[in-house]
Amino acid sequence: MIALAIATLLVRECARCHPAEAKPHPATSMAHAMEAPADCGILRTHPRLTLKKGKYSYRIEKNLYIVSDGSASLTFPILWAFGLGDAGQTYIFEKDGVLHESRVSFFRAIDGLDWTLGASNAPPANLMEAAGREMGKQDAAQCFACHSTRAASLLVAGVQCERCHGSTDAHLATLAPMKKLGRADAEEVSTFCGQCHRTWAEIAGQGLLGVTNVRFQPYRLTNSKCFDVDDKRISCVGCHNPHQELDRNDADYDVKCQACHAGGKAGAKACKISRANCVSCHMPKVEMPGSHYRFTDHQIRIAKANDRYPN
Amino acid sequence: MKEAVEAQQSGQFEQAIRNYRLLLEKYPRIAEIHSNLGVALAGEGRYADAIAEYQRALAIKPDPQVRLNLGLAYYKAGQLPLAVDTLKKTPRGPQSLTVLADCYLRLGDNKQVIDLLTPVQKADPENAAFNYLLGTALVRDGQIAQGQIVIDKILKNGDSAQARLLMGTTKMMVNDFAGALEDFGKAIKLDPKLPEAYSYYGQALLSTGDQAAAKKAFQRELESDPNNFDANLRLGVLLRQDQENDEALQFFRHALEIRPKDFGVRYQIATLELAKGQLDQAQRELESLVKEAPTFTEAHVSLATIYFRQKNKAAGERERAIVAKLNAERQANSPAVKAER
Repeated sequence: MIALAIATLLVRECARCHPAEAKPHPATSMAHAMEAPADCGILRTHPRLTLKKGKYSYRIEKNLYIVSDGSASLTFPILWAFGLGDAGQTYIFEKDGVLHESRVSFFRAIDGLDWTLGASNAPPANLMEAAGREMGKQDAAQCFACHSTRAASLLVAGVQCERCHGSTDAHLATLAPMKKLGRADAEEVSTFCGQCHRTWAEIAGQGLLGVTNVRFQPYRLTNSKCFDVDDKRISCVGCHNPHQELDRNDADYDVKCQACHAGGKAGAKACKISRANCVSCHMPKVEMPGSHYRFTDHQIRIAKANDRYPN
Repeated sequence: MKEAVEAQQSGQFEQAIRNYRLLLEKYPRIAEIHSNLGVALAGEGRYADAIAEYQRALAIKPDPQVRLNLGLAYYKAGQLPLAVDTLKKTPRGPQSLTVLADCYLRLGDNKQVIDLLTPVQKADPENAAFNYLLGTALVRDGQIAQGQIVIDKILKNGDSAQARLLMGTTKMMVNDFAGALEDFGKAIKLDPKLPEAYSYYGQALLSTGDQAAAKKAFQRELESDPNNFDANLRLGVLLRQDQENDEALQFFRHALEIRPKDFGVRYQIATLELAKGQLDQAQRELESLVKEAPTFTEAHVSLATIYFRQKNKAAGERERAIVAKLNAERQANSPAVKAER
């Protein structure tokens, strides 16, 4: 509750001068990328979540995470909920001062629990391993850096204004202009958003092949034939307004595509099939195994049936 | 001379060094004095000075024992390529073979160790040092079954730190990190001074996600052997993750002294320069790296980043196309895709 209160205060401060950006932001998914259990809508609307996998049974009840192997059980208070459930909501708990990631996550598509992504690969050796994965310090720092604001000092849940624009304190003290993504080129924006959504360099360097990289949008977008580092129209913020909730209506993006493909850019051909709902064909939805979610593939292309997933 | 030799034999190296230097003022062309002075200097850990004296001795009179000492001094000073060049010119005896094999091992040249020691080990199958070095090289070269035969020979003599280290290395090769961690822990308990034990322990800790403990393990390895390549490299990487870039660079530079051509270290140094905004330096290093290792994907990735930051769009896109091609080739050769065909 305290985390939510601080987030609200910070945003309210920004909204005094920047109402168009700051006021709608608290309703976005990014603003709720991390929630305290008391503020978590999923935990509130699902007072009892259960899952049985092999000899282990899992229960989330009254903000407690309970794991049992039939003869013994472990109970941990949930500290934080990461994500909003579309592609999973995972829970963070503590054991002996060390943060752990829950082995099960909530998935909206099945309205219940299933393995956290990647957790099914290694069968647990004991009850503690069945409960979750120990997060190394570096690992935890990376998770909180993306799911919260001021992660290194006063932890504020979710991605709030400061996470992208820099320190509010410094801005209020000097009124110096803050970082504005709208002025950056496509490459700079991709690198910036890629801090959390993963940059092309990070994924290409890992050689992370296969459909699991579909969730790393800046990487996928950079691989698109039409990606032009100098062209703001193909940057992340060229299509998405991070101050507002994601627009899920395909047709709303047509104007973005046609900014180039209706004569606006040399060499950008017009589609022979249709001028409506471009993204429904050219950015196909791809299900990542285990995610219970169909991600929009940001590698813009002429996608043909039975084509291999392009890396 | 007698006083100097006696001082040296009783471990009073400083005294011996003073005496030899006095003698050299009178007899600068006597090779034995230079050579003995080299030994005394090496006894004090002053390897650079020792190397200079051995070289002077050899210039006056070639002597295989002095050459061996020179090779050992290079080895101790961490100048492994020079140690190899020198030791290759010495007559083959157990000591020169062992040190030469260990140099190859530290340089990551496992095949050379196997070629060097396989015939020797057949002639002397109970030699523990040969068995250990050969077993390690075989395991690191992926010849697990052959390595296991050598490990069994070591195990015949009871549980030992060397055997545990080798068993752990084998387990690392097959991604059994928890098992490897246990073996390395036992190796350290049996012999905390066993070369590379802490380095491998650190690598197993890294693989099981305990970076803080891994960092300490690498530091312990470097306390006893500052020339351990892996400990230098991996400690550098961990320090870099903690944003301690200057300290990380020191370890990378030392790793590069040990293996001057190692692509991995050169890449780490270049990306560190990139992180510090030294784009021109990083670009030069990466361009030379991809020339020597054209399929080094990560280097092309970083090079693309540099070109784009320098607003060199054409070069950046060229590098990205190379990365896409390399990744596509890797994907086409992946077991899953091959099985599909």
